[in-house]
Amino acid sequence: MHPLTGLLATNFGSPSGVTTQDHYVRELWRLSGYFSVPIGLIVLGLITFAIVRYRHRPGEDRKPSQFQYHIPLEATYTIIPLVIVAVIFGVMYNAENHVTKVSAKPSVAITVDGFQWGWRFVYHNGHVQIGTGDYNDINNNNDLPVLVMPSNETVQLHVVSLDVVHTFYVKEFLFNRDLIPGINNTFDVNVTKPGLYPGQCNNICGEYHAYMRFLVDVMTPTQYAAWYANQPACSVTTAGVPGTQKGSCSAINAGADFTGYTQAPKG
Amino acid sequence: MTILEERPQLPFEAHEPSLMEIVPGPRPRGIVKFVTSTDHKQIGLNYLFTALTGFLLAGLMALVMRTQLIVPNNHFVTENVYNEMFTIHGTIMLFVFAGPFAFAGFGNYMIPLMIGAPDMAFPRFNNLSYWLYLGGFSLLLAGFLTNNGAAQFGWFGYAPLTEAIHSPGPGADLWIVGIGLTGLSGIFTAVNIITTVFTLRAPGMVMFRMPIFVWNILVTMFLILLAFPVLTAAMALLWIDRHLGGGFYDASKGGQPILWQNLFWFFGHPEVYIIAVPYFGVATEIISTMSRKPVFGYKGMIAATLSIGALSMGVWAHHMYTTGAVLLPFFAAMSLLIAVPTGIKFFNWIGTMWRGTIVLNTAMLFCLGFLAIFLFGGITGVILAQPVLDFQVHNTYFVVAHFHYVLIGAVMAGFGGLYYWLPKMTGRKLSEKWGKLGFALLFIGFNLTFFPQHDLGLRGMPRRIETYNAGMGWNFLNELSSIGAYITALGVLVNVWNIFTSWRNGEIAGDNPWDGQTLEWACSSPPPDHNFEALPPIRSERPVWDANHPDMLTKVGH
Repeated sequence: MHPLTGLLATNFGSPSGVTTQDHYVRELWRLSGYFSVPIGLIVLGLITFAIVRYRHRPGEDRKPSQFQYHIPLEATYTIIPLVIVAVIFGVMYNAENHVTKVSAKPSVAITVDGFQWGWRFVYHNGHVQIGTGDYNDINNNNDLPVLVMPSNETVQLHVVSLDVVHTFYVKEFLFNRDLIPGINNTFDVNVTKPGLYPGQCNNICGEYHAYMRFLVDVMTPTQYAAWYANQPACSVTTAGVPGTQKGSCSAINAGADFTGYTQAPKG
Repeated sequence: MTILEERPQLPFEAHEPSLMEIVPGPRPRGIVKFVTSTDHKQIGLNYLFTALTGFLLAGLMALVMRTQLIVPNNHFVTENVYNEMFTIHGTIMLFVFAGPFAFAGFGNYMIPLMIGAPDMAFPRFNNLSYWLYLGGFSLLLAGFLTNNGAAQFGWFGYAPLTEAIHSPGPGADLWIVGIGLTGLSGIFTAVNIITTVFTLRAPGMVMFRMPIFVWNILVTMFLILLAFPVLTAAMALLWIDRHLGGGFYDASKGGQPILWQNLFWFFGHPEVYIIAVPYFGVATEIISTMSRKPVFGYKGMIAATLSIGALSMGVWAHHMYTTGAVLLPFFAAMSLLIAVPTGIKFFNWIGTMWRGTIVLNTAMLFCLGFLAIFLFGGITGVILAQPVLDFQVHNTYFVVAHFHYVLIGAVMAGFGGLYYWLPKMTGRKLSEKWGKLGFALLFIGFNLTFFPQHDLGLRGMPRRIETYNAGMGWNFLNELSSIGAYITALGVLVNVWNIFTSWRNGEIAGDNPWDGQTLEWACSSPPPDHNFEALPPIRSERPVWDANHPDMLTKVGH
């Protein structure tokens, strides 16, 4: 690779995402970097030059220049940043429209319920994925609820808070979305790379905020279809262990799936 | 005209009237002076030292947090104590330290001096402001004494976590009332300073001859008048929700939790500039004095401050991009635009140093530290202003790093202000030796603490988590960050030590230790009651310089 191409291809530290959104995020990181790194270096360079070149040396009898205005210069460093900001905004606007687009016909739609302090993922047939609420050992990943979804398909997540404000956040999705009582939030993800990704609540929601974690298990579409066919309607899978309660939609509606947690959500 | 004609002739020969009224007799001292004084200088010092106390206490809370996070799965403190720590750390740093330190501390002390006034327009009102502020500060701390502990929902307290059902106990109420009181104090200070600036300027001190610091405080005060009442209202609604079942922020009663976010950030974003803009002014004064030059692009600088103030009223929802309930393009455009006037300020600061004779003392070093740190905070700000990128790093440690670069950048300028102005306030200079050591420790410690946090955020670490899983790749960066926090604490201690020892034993400063340019350097150090015995003629924005250096007046034209 040509050194210059290599330099320009840097992601400025941002990690790679695993969704179709990754392309737009990367484009914006690069654009912001191409402008801000040189500007930052120029400003730092000018400051360094000034304090080295114009510093007061003992015994020196140099009079400071007393100029105050230079209108063309001032206009230049007003107009150029305006143009840069306009360019960034234009590219960002386009990316934003792609990222926030919500499909009318998603392949899979899953409801994501957040509560103090855990997650519940409800599928179309009423199947529930939930955790157990272990607030003692943060290193234990076996108590976590698992969000199962297919790759390379548009998955629509409808996020609902059952009590306070939470935020659905998966680092590899490069995406955050809040769960706010009173607000209907829906977004699409299309994961291109199957795998197991950690997720976590990203808005302070009380005592055990740090423990409000989950896993996303992204399967290939065929694996997913097989998995989904195996989940009876209104069954509950607790922390990856399937079938603790089977076939009672009314029990789930009454909150029976929260048995792993100390209390059902309030509020 | 008639009024002038009707004035009676003086019965004695007119001579230069003294600007100062000498009241004989003993002056109150010590605690009596602290409690009763309406002198803007005493009140300014009260603010400065109360704010510094807040800074030290909130800093201690930060150390508790960094110690908790130094290793994964740590149990140094419980979840609730950790949550109290970051809530009260943020609240005190913003409402007690960073804002009032500059606009009420430096503002009170310096504004009458800089515009040639004997005191503030409403001295007793000024005293009341201070006591409301101290009351608010005390209530915020009092939360720790209650049985449920202090507030635990973060400094922006998103409803409905703040409702009585989720946060029972008086800790949250003390938080509400504490913020309410500091807010009222801010409003009163704003009324006082605006009136002072508009009515008490000395003859010749027209608006466009005011020092940049005064301009910046003036803009800040208008922001306070626009933003703080909304905060007070939001807090009042929350109190009604908690105690009278108001349901304003309760979705189950037809209220809207998102309303809190809109109200809070309508205050909260201007608040960021309420904090930062005065420090821009401090930095401008120091850079200009230490470079021995006029402020480059003086009027452009004022225009930049005014546009920052105006734009800051229209960017609040950039804190709410991920709510899915705000108009993204509008707030993105406004937020990006703020980069332009901020950039103008940077180039003006460089222009001010250009071809000067720059004295690299501690005050100036702190300003250079401010420039470097704030520059980086500004660049990450442009990234966060873009909703698509904010979707990625919202509420992660990337954001924590960003706003600490912005705010502690500003606070660096504040420390510079102490080294610059304490000689005027106490009559003694601070030790340069200790000062440079303190600066170095602070600068290194700060960057070691917060630079790794950018990467932590990109690696997905959410803010406000009490502990973390060992397998996330966050361990080493957290360790670095905590070590940096201890170095920062050492730097703070060195500076505090310097302030207290130099107060008694420092080198005598004299009236004008830095060859200053603005009016505060025309009176003695410390200034007498009612400030000035005589004023130099005010023919530009730097009357003291003009009087001392008639051969080096500002070059007209460009």
